[in-house]
Parts: sequence; C-alpha cells; structure tokens
Amino acid sequence: MPDIRIEATINGRKIARAAKPHQRLIDFLRDDLNLTGNKEGCGAGECGTCSVFVDGVLMKSCLMPVAKAHGATIDTVESLAKTGELSVLQQAFHKAGASQCGYCIPGMVMAATAALRANPFADREEIKERLGGNICRCTGYQKIIDAVELARDVQNGRLPAAALAEEEHAEGDFIGKNVRRIDAPSKVTGRLKYAGDMTMPGMLHVQVLRSPHPHARIVSIDTTAAEVMAGVEGVITAADVPGQDGFGVFVNDQPVMARGKVRYVGEAVAAVAAEDPLTAKRALAAIKVVYEPLPAVFDPFDAMRPGAPVLHDYAPDNITKHIPIRVGDVEKGFAESDLVVEENYSTQAIEHAYLEPEAGLAYVDPDGVVTIVSPSQNITHHRHMLARIIAKPISKVRFIMSPVGGGFGGKEDMIYQGMLALLAMKTQRPVRLVFTREESIASTAKRHPSRTTLRMGLMRDGRINALALKMICDGGAYGLSTEGVMRKAAILGAGPYAIPNVRVDTYGIYTNNTPSGAFRSFGALQTQFATESHLDICAERLGLDPFAIRRINALRDGGMTHTKQKLGKVSLARVLEAAEKASGWEAGAPNSRGGTRGDLDRVDTRPPVSLGARFAGEDKQEAAE
Amino acid sequence: MLICDEYITPSSLADAFAAMTRHRGRYRVVAGCTDTLPWAREGRAGDVEIPVLIDVSRIPELIARRVDDKRVRLGAATPVQRFLDVPELARALPAGPRCAVWFADDQIREQATVGGNIVNASPAADVTPCLIAHDAEVELARSENGAVARRRMSLTDFVQGPGRTALQEGELLTAIECDALPAYGGSFEKVGHRRSLVISVVCLAALVKLDAQGRRVEDARLSIAGIGPKPLRLSEVENFLRGAPLDTGRLEQAAEMPVALVASRTRQEYRRDVVRGFMLRGLVNAAKRAGADPAALSAELETAYA
Ligand SMILES: Cc1cc2nc3c(=O)[nH]c(=O)nc-3n(C[C@H](O)[C@H](O)[C@H](O)COP(=O)(O)OP(=O)(O)OC[C@H]3O[C@@H](n4cnc5c(N)ncnc54)[C@H](O)[C@@H]3O)c2cc1C
Repeated sequence: MPDIRIEATINGRKIARAAKPHQRLIDFLRDDLNLTGNKEGCGAGECGTCSVFVDGVLMKSCLMPVAKAHGATIDTVESLAKTGELSVLQQAFHKAGASQCGYCIPGMVMAATAALRANPFADREEIKERLGGNICRCTGYQKIIDAVELARDVQNGRLPAAALAEEEHAEGDFIGKNVRRIDAPSKVTGRLKYAGDMTMPGMLHVQVLRSPHPHARIVSIDTTAAEVMAGVEGVITAADVPGQDGFGVFVNDQPVMARGKVRYVGEAVAAVAAEDPLTAKRALAAIKVVYEPLPAVFDPFDAMRPGAPVLHDYAPDNITKHIPIRVGDVEKGFAESDLVVEENYSTQAIEHAYLEPEAGLAYVDPDGVVTIVSPSQNITHHRHMLARIIAKPISKVRFIMSPVGGGFGGKEDMIYQGMLALLAMKTQRPVRLVFTREESIASTAKRHPSRTTLRMGLMRDGRINALALKMICDGGAYGLSTEGVMRKAAILGAGPYAIPNVRVDTYGIYTNNTPSGAFRSFGALQTQFATESHLDICAERLGLDPFAIRRINALRDGGMTHTKQKLGKVSLARVLEAAEKASGWEAGAPNSRGGTRGDLDRVDTRPPVSLGARFAGEDKQEAAE
Repeated sequence: MLICDEYITPSSLADAFAAMTRHRGRYRVVAGCTDTLPWAREGRAGDVEIPVLIDVSRIPELIARRVDDKRVRLGAATPVQRFLDVPELARALPAGPRCAVWFADDQIREQATVGGNIVNASPAADVTPCLIAHDAEVELARSENGAVARRRMSLTDFVQGPGRTALQEGELLTAIECDALPAYGGSFEKVGHRRSLVISVVCLAALVKLDAQGRRVEDARLSIAGIGPKPLRLSEVENFLRGAPLDTGRLEQAAEMPVALVASRTRQEYRRDVVRGFMLRGLVNAAKRAGADPAALSAELETAYA
C-alpha cells in the first residue's frame, strides 16, 4: 500500500508527511502528530469528540479520509490555547463547571467556538442547535450551554472579563460555594491524556476476536496462521492464563477470554498484539475457531424454567442471585386493606454510552511489575483479581487509574485488563487496546432489564398497609455486579415509605444476552420505577393527590426502613416540597383535570424540542409582514 | 474500517473517468464519505477492503452551481450546508434551508453532499424528497470513446429502492437540475429519535404558492420519505389542492390522502399518525410563508400545527 503525501498547515505550522491512504484525518492527527485533544468517541460522526476546523469550517475528523486534508489549513483544539492562555470560551467552561469527565469537552469547546464565530449573538436555543452535533453524557448540557452564553456575553462586552474569574470565597471555605474544578483547564485544552491517548516506545496494538454466537462450545482454536504473520508479536487465548481464571465484582464467573464455551455475542475469545492495529485485525481474521452451537436462552423467565439451557455449571437453575426481604405478614396486610392494586412494570437494557470507549495500556516494568493503566472504576479489586489470574504476588501487579472519560458504573468490570496483562507478559512490550464504540456496546455491561410485579394494599385514607414486589432481572451471561444490583434494588424497592408488611424478592438471572452490571442508581431505578408509578395509580384510585399519598406514607426522622435501618434525619418532606413548588404542581388526583392541566407550558417550563432557532428572526419578520 | 491501497482525488471530470477506466472493477466513488465511512464498520459492512477510492468532491463541475429565477443547477458534490448559507439557493429552494437544518448537524452538512444523499438511496434520505418536490432531474455522465456522454432522467425514476438507483457501472452523477420556486412558501417536517444527528422516521417537503390575496392555492408540491422503500411525490394531493381555496377543511382532507401510502417495514401505525400531522403542519407552514391571508385558516389549526 503506497503512502500518500500530505502537505497542510496544522495549528499554524506547515507539515509535509507521508500517510496511509486508508487513514482518516483523526488517525493522522492523533497517531502521527500526537494531537490527542481530538478524541475518538464513536468513529461514525455521531458524537463530535473529534471536531476540528478545516479551512475555518468545523468538521468531524473521523468522517474524513486524510487525503482530504491535503492542502488544507487545519486547526485543532490544541490551537485555541497555544500560548497557555485559555480562550474566553475555555475560561467560561472552567468557570461554569462545564467539564466533568472531560472527554467530550475538547469537541464541545470547538463546536462552541464555531457557534459563536457563526453568530456572536446566538441565543440559548441557537447555541443548542449549533452544538447539536456534539454529545455529552455527564452534564445534561446545561452547564455547557451556560458557559457558551457566558463567553458570548464577555466577548460582546455585555459582561466584564471579571465574570470569568473564580468567585471569591475565604481560604478553605468550600461548602455551598461555587468552586472551579482544578482539572478543568487540562480538559478544556485537550491536554489531559486518557488511556487511549497514551503511548510508549515500542508499543504494540491489541485487537480482540469476539464470539459471533450467543452460546456455543469451543471445539478448537487454531492460532498458528496468525502467530506467524509479520508484525504479529503475540496471540493469546484462555490457554495462556497461568493462574486461576475468573473475574467478577461478586462471583468470579467470567474468564479473561472464553474458556471451553462462549456465552454471549461479543465475548472475547482470543487477542492479538501487533505492530499496528490493521495487522492485528488481519491476524484476527487468520484465527480459526470451531464452534458447536448450543441452545441459547434470551429471556430470564425462560431461563428459570426446568430444562432451560444452563449457562454455568455452578448455577443449574440459572439464578445468579435472589435477594428476599420479609417484614410483617403481607397476606394478612392485603386482607385488611381497603384497596389492593396489582400491576406489572418493565424497564429495558440501557447502555452507559460514556464518551470514552474502554482503553488500556499495559507493560511489564523493569522490576517485573505487571502494570495496567486504564479507566477502571475499581482498581484495588482489579489488582487482587488479576494477581490471582496471572499467578503473581500482589506486589508484582500494579493498576494505575487513568482519567475516566465517563463510567457511570460501566467501567467497574475487569473486561479487558486481563488480556492486556497477558499480552504484555507474553510480548514483554507495552501493549494498548482501544475499543471501538461498537465493541464497547457489544461486550460491556448494560443496565439490567427488569420485569416487576407489584401488589400494594392501601387503606382508604392513603396509608400503605402491605407491599409485595417481585422483580426478575436479565443478568446476561456473567455475574458482574448483578448480586449487588439485586441487593440494592431490594433494599430500596419499597421506597422511602413506612410500610408495616413488606415482601420483596429480586432475582438476577443468567441468560445468553450481553451481561448486565452496574449503572447509576444500581438497581434502585428498576424497583422504584415500579413503586413510584404504582403510587400514582393508587392515588388516582383513591382520589388522592400524588404528593399527598407520598406525604402520608413518608418515613420520618427516626423512622425505620424495611431492612431495619434506623434513620436519623429524613429529607423526603423537603424534597417533595421543593419538587411540588418547582414544578408549579396543580393539586389534585391524577384524573381530576380531564384533558387539560394548568401546570404545563408555564413561562419557566422548557419548551419542546424544535429546530430552526436560526430562522427565528425570519419567522418573526414573516409574522410582521 | 475502510481499507484502501490508493485514494485518488481527480481535479477534472476527465481525470475521474480516466481513473475509473484504469481501475475498472476495483474502485468505489466517494464524495463526502459520510455514508461510506460509517458503513464500513462493525455491525454493518465491517472491515471493507476496496483497492481504490475515487473522491469526486474536488471536480470543479461537481461543485459548480447556477441559480436563476427559473432553474437551479447544482453540482452533485455540493455540500448540504449550502442550502442554508447561500441566500440565492435558499430563495430558489424554499424548503431547502429547513431541510438542511434538520439534516445531521452543522459539521456533517459541510461534508455530506447532495449527490451522495441521492446515490446512497436511503428510504429516509432528507435531501431527495426536497428536490423531488422541485421536479428535479439528475444528470449522469460516462466516458464513451474518450468523450463524455451524458444522460438525464427524473430523480423520482433514478432512485429505485433502498440502496438502488439507475446509476450504471462507470457512470457519475454530475448534477441535479430543478425548478427554482422563489414565489413558493416552503417547509420541511422531520421526525426521528432526537433533534440532531438523526435519520428521519418520516420527512415531508411541502411547497405552496398562493394567489395575490393569499386565499387560493395556485400550486402545491409535496414529497414524502420514510414511509416506504423510496421517497414519493404526492401528485394526487397536489392536484386536489391546485386551484382550490385555502381553507381548513380542504387541508384536512388533503392530509388524509397519503395516509394510505404508508408501506414501511416497521411502525406503520405510528407513521400514519405522523403523516397526517406532517401534512397539516407542512401545508400550514408553507402557506403561511407564502403569504396566506390570516383569516383563511382557523386559529385552531394554526396553533395546533405551527
Ligand atoms: C451522523 C450522521 C448523521 C446523518 N444524518 C443524516 C440526515 O439527517 N439526513 C440524511 O438524509 N442523511 C444523513 N446522513 C447520511 C449522509 O450524511 C448523507 O446521505 C450524505 O448526503 C451522503 O453524502 P456523502 O457525499 O457524504 O456520501 P458518500 O459516503 O461519499 O457517498 C455515498 C454513496 O454515493 C455514491 N456517490 C457519491 N457521490 C457520487 C457521484 N457524484 N456520482 C456517483 N456516485 C456517487 C458513493 O459511491 C456512495 O455509494 C447522516 C450521516 C451521519 C454519519
């Protein structure tokens, strides 16, 4: 493959370099010029972490073959604060607290720069519209948009430059104060290195072969053709694990790479370290795996039936974890209630979609310490597990936590660090693995999909007398955090309410779906979605206001939860009051209003999504004409 | 991953055809690459090895454009963003800016080309229905005995179904020609799962021309996508509206007419509701922008579909 020649002006400097014809501009900027402020979040134009100016026009560098950059002037996020002085926008992002994990932020700063160049007076709606090509998963966008408005006003002289400075507060006085994040400058400039941005001399690139089957026995794996390919430095399978294989947050049921059988589509089967990613990819294609497909099960209810395919020998009933809670006498409670309501609720699998796909760098240091740098949310536990897996004393295993470009629970699992360790040991060279977005979605944990049956007995005055909740969750092929998620779902399932008779059962079930794991709120969302929806339905049946029914049942200071935890202070009353006020709630039972209600479309409620803010002037003019 | 051995950026149509002849059977044409690069990823085509990519986005003829009060000629490699930021184009194609603003995002529109959108032939393409409403024709060129041979056909005939067009081996889409309709009011309605970066579930281009009093429909142009294998022109509805008074009842009847055309593979019921709503909203918006007499339409209709 002959190289092509790229001459361009990049961040004010002329460059003339060879490139591969298949490289994209993002590859060229990151891999060849080390301009790693341009992140790759999706590789498909969806997220905007890679936005750069090409001849003054903002574009997504993941959608651009490098040949298109020939003769162009390119400015990356690194050009905005070249001398170290942050641009007004970067300062505004710092001031407004617009950066959290920071992975989307270089792209956001670029999009905001483009927006204010296009219209220095853009209003909030137009700013939103112009930032539409950039995704953030931490902030909910509000602070980002606040920052752009702040920068706009400073640039236009409507606010003094001092508005960008940190608010004054006494030394050491932080609580209740607006304190700027100390890591924000490193993020708004793109200087911060995430694992996928890091390189080491002699570093190899890792690619992973993944299962195309949901459930299959591995008859054989033949890696010989891959191993002899030029540029391939190491190939590993489960056979390369020297110690006791298996990881998980609660049960160590997941091997570093499939051992004997695969249990979900996307499970790692083998991995290759090579001089470049393309060679590693080609080596994957040369690995021959013979599978014998097994019957698979995709629904937790099916998985619980006798005779269902069994995923793990240790759990012949496919139950990963059952958490039961019993308080009082629920059946008696129902019998004594004025109203008994039963409903079913379900929630779906959800992907965390942190902007930073999983990535890690591993090496064996001069003292023989196997070192893994990755955005792991659980490095201490990972270190212990890895020591056992690679049969080394804990002193010879080191985990370094790189900046986490969004985790939300999804980076708690040691999904790929084991492979990195094995390849670093096998090749004795630094190795790096960077997931594609597709790989991240296919192979890592999701929020547990759930189905809940909820039965509630109430008295006419609104008091809850009894609650029975049974939730079945699809835990997918491996345990990951399922046990903890079921536990928390059960503990919080009856809500912050004083209920004398409670029966809660939560089940995490093995299926051949992508494993479920930790995800913000860790199980509480699923059961509370059921409980809170149910309360609204019960309020309607009793002719009560939804706030009122919650107040009647709220736990109070000194109250006891259904897991016998004595509470000091309970803030529920304050929370309800604040929510009621902020929403402009119109009191009454849910069905008291008929088709219209007065608490929608108020001046301070957010209008529905629309596009065309930049035509607003035109439309007004049309109206006037 | 899209893997190629050679990436050629011809600077003239002749060079492009020379490269296409030289690499016959081993090349693929690209323009903005915004369909091609995401296509070559896991879950879709996966890793694709194409020996030669021929990038037509720098051929002067393909980025030229000509606009007057009657006709528009757009080079096939015109980026979609030009619908928004070239005032003469926005005037000639009144639904164009509204179509563009719903298309991907500001950044992708700078790269995504009109020709790429047409040749990609997605059932949910946004630009295609917008141009169909302008009676667009495509111009196709090929190299024949060293000369450039051209042919033309209507855009409606050119797009045949999902991913299928009348483009032949060795042919390039060079230009799109269509009516300039500066006297029309235009609207573009689109719904997808989110606001930006979203493929249409349904989209509708509506153009309306009214008499001087803003009370009678002189002409209407409607094209819809996302409801079947290819974008459709709604000629029957146009005939029903042409010459008729602009009134709520008539628009409501017109809005019912294409509901039966929904033939998508999924979510038909939802799409039927959307079609009805979009027809009303599209027609009301277009009529308002064409200078409708405020008394012509009921206030209820206007607020419901503004
Ligand atoms: C994140 C994202 C969001 C998107 N949003 C939208 C959207 O909202 N609406 C929408 O309609 N589309 C959308 N798209 C799809 C895409 O951007 C458009 O279809 C675009 O117009 C394709 O043009 P291109 O030049 O980039 O195509 P390319 O990828 O370069 O080409 C597409 C196809 O057309 C062929 N081709 C291109 N030019 C010619 C020519 N002159 N002659 C012959 N063949 C040619 C190519 O061979 C290829 O088969 C989106 C894409 C992405 C990645």
